[in-house]
Amino acid sequence: MIEKMMNTRLFHWVDERTDLGAIIKSQLTEYPVPKNLNYMWNFGSLALLVLVLQILTGIFLVMYYKPDASLTYGGYTVAFDSVERIMRDINFGWLIRYMHAVGASAFFVVVYMHIGRGLYYGSYKGPRELLWIIGVVILLIMQGAAFFGYLLPWGQMSFWGATVITNLFGALPVLGEYLQQVLRGGFAVGDPTLNRFFSLHYLFPLLLAAIVGGHIHALHVVHSNNPEGIDIDHEKDTIPFHPYYTVKDAFGVGVFLLGYCYFVFFQPEAWGYFIEVDNFVPANNLQTPAHIAPVWYLTPWYTILRTFEDKLMGVVAMGASLAILFVLPFLDRSKVRSARYRPVFRQMVILFFISVVVLGYCGHSAPTETLAMVGTIATCVYFGFFLLLPFVHKFEKTKPLPGGE
Amino acid sequence: MSDKADHSRRNFLYVAAGGLGAVAAGATAVPFIGSMLPAADTLAAAKTEYDVSTVVEGQLVVIQWQGKPVFVVNRTAEMLERVKGHDDKLKDPNSEAGEAVQAEWMDTDEKRLYRAIKPEVLIVVASCTHLGCIPLFKPTAGQKDWGDSVPSDWSGGWHCPCHGSFYDLSARVINGSPAPQNLHVMKYEYISDTVVLIG
Amino acid sequence: MRGMMMKMTRFSLIACLMLMLAPVMASAAGGVAVKHTDITFDKETLRAGLQVFTDVCMGCHSAKYVTYRNLMAYPEIGISREEADELRGDKALMAGLITELSPEDAAESYGKVPPDLSLIARARRGGANYTYSILTGYEADPDGKIEDGNYNVYYPGGRIAMPDPLAWMGHDAEETADLEEQARSVSSFLAFIGDPHQLERKRLGRWVMGFLVLLTFVLWMLKKEVWKDVKKH
Repeated sequence: MIEKMMNTRLFHWVDERTDLGAIIKSQLTEYPVPKNLNYMWNFGSLALLVLVLQILTGIFLVMYYKPDASLTYGGYTVAFDSVERIMRDINFGWLIRYMHAVGASAFFVVVYMHIGRGLYYGSYKGPRELLWIIGVVILLIMQGAAFFGYLLPWGQMSFWGATVITNLFGALPVLGEYLQQVLRGGFAVGDPTLNRFFSLHYLFPLLLAAIVGGHIHALHVVHSNNPEGIDIDHEKDTIPFHPYYTVKDAFGVGVFLLGYCYFVFFQPEAWGYFIEVDNFVPANNLQTPAHIAPVWYLTPWYTILRTFEDKLMGVVAMGASLAILFVLPFLDRSKVRSARYRPVFRQMVILFFISVVVLGYCGHSAPTETLAMVGTIATCVYFGFFLLLPFVHKFEKTKPLPGGE
Repeated sequence: MSDKADHSRRNFLYVAAGGLGAVAAGATAVPFIGSMLPAADTLAAAKTEYDVSTVVEGQLVVIQWQGKPVFVVNRTAEMLERVKGHDDKLKDPNSEAGEAVQAEWMDTDEKRLYRAIKPEVLIVVASCTHLGCIPLFKPTAGQKDWGDSVPSDWSGGWHCPCHGSFYDLSARVINGSPAPQNLHVMKYEYISDTVVLIG
Repeated sequence: MRGMMMKMTRFSLIACLMLMLAPVMASAAGGVAVKHTDITFDKETLRAGLQVFTDVCMGCHSAKYVTYRNLMAYPEIGISREEADELRGDKALMAGLITELSPEDAAESYGKVPPDLSLIARARRGGANYTYSILTGYEADPDGKIEDGNYNVYYPGGRIAMPDPLAWMGHDAEETADLEEQARSVSSFLAFIGDPHQLERKRLGRWVMGFLVLLTFVLWMLKKEVWKDVKKH
């Protein structure tokens, strides 16, 4: 069908002036992909889908959302009222709002799976180091966008989450106070904060769109890794992206939509994980909720932050846990990419995944002594994974690679 | 031979997938476009109640309905006389141009002449049918009060300051005006002797 | 490959189990585990709940996001124009359900401003079960510290500012069923107004899921069919 569209006169007219045909062929339809990719490779296209969904739903929400923290009757605000108006009066407003809220969590589920794939199969190793680094940038911008967006409904969790995190910046030496003021626009989280977070929340996803373009371009230069982690014979072992991966990705989209729509239509709050109970209470700057926790997808880093009693150490540790992702390609010296053929690395990376889940669990729960200890252990495992990596290649007996490499 | 069977199966599946995908895309567009239609509370504000007894004889007030300006004029008997006898000067004396100028309640000649349910009370949309400015009320006849902003045979009505359209005291557009239609009327009814429900 | 799939399934199961336990633990943290009631969204229940709300709750509480017009327009409630006019008195049809009690007077009388109830069922862990438990949970403080009418085990801390609105304490045995039904119907009403489009959402959702099952099945067949070429090699 794409071939039919490319044969029309209209297309020829455009193609003569833009070379669009050559671009479509080289980047999409005839683009060579390893033929042995498994379903873990579907998450990249899914991430792109969710980004588009978020931008689309976001644009329509902004037609009615008002970023204004002025008080209205009942302790509510103009912003909170506008969200309730979307939920009650706007045609299908409830649907668009739920799509956006569920989409935010779906975005992180998909991206975490995508990153997990990269870790397990060694997709971060040469020549894909920059591809990985651009990916880490994408993750950070996603986290920023989610953080800014969460303030917008101006519920209790919105307000106090923003207060806690902007307080963190105050812990940084020298620039801390200044940064905090720049972020908040005042002495505390308030209307100026809301307005600038709204602006940044709109900006970041559009930045993402551009950076994702760079991410895909970087990928297309070095081409995809594969589950075996080996360099493949271009002729024998690749197949064109269309129709093979277009239909496989389409099927992946179908499965994804089944899960996504289940949540949108039947469990949009996801038992308090996607839309938190406390956020249905209007923000009250004189009363903190009994239990503050960030949304589930930020909880691992929250735990790392709380591991240290000293505020600055906590911030540094949290920053380090993200910064260390950037240097991963240079920490791992093994010549073998895929965990399939690296028995030691395989155990390490699975332990790493478990540590992230445990960190998340600790971050979401009310702090207790036991959980604090568990969190500390998980933090050690998290950092241990990276710090051990440079040494693994020295003693790991990798399994023989297929094709006798 | 099995190739042929495969190909038709493959084509069928492509067509089925494409068709269902198109349905999905169309269905997804519905809530997004739908959300841009007027919201429930906007639609609920579609009716306005107004007590016309607050308008003094000969006076015009401007009220709001659906966010638009609306003239409510309490016309004297003398003003009502001045809407007669100049049909040849009007583009559309019987308000036949379309739905916007011809309401359901305009079912008698008298109602079409006075363009009101109760002749004294004229209720029209205060938006010039040319490009939307609010016309100026110039109710007295002649040029004494209005100078040569109005023609010498002026029998009272409205004059739009933006591009010079003229309307008579029944808000019917006068020949030579850029405006194509009489000022628009709308559905309204008297829910009591003095209270109208507009919309 | 299978080894990794099994490992992933195993620990994602463990992870899921752990994450599922978290909310259970959290809801028990506030006080005693809440009672359970079967809320329903049939017209009878919702109208009865609306009656309780306007007769009892609106003495102190508002529900500003619910307008008289909404009460007419939501098909699940659907009161008539006359009923709406009776309820609203001289307030506008588009006005929300607002109590006559000013926040200042309330703070003086009760020590706290009664919260708006539009979203209360979503803003409390336990939702309708929580509101039901509160309304039927008043009893004498066994320690004798908190006065009657302000002691409620289901409220975190036990001391609740809202004084026994349904007169649950000291009610006769024959009144129990009626009071429980009042608590159930108003809890149903509160759960409904917290998310008035929920029934439509689920109805639409069934169609969407059905369609997606079909679509995904066709895409699965298409994928298998197209990939036959690759398997051949």
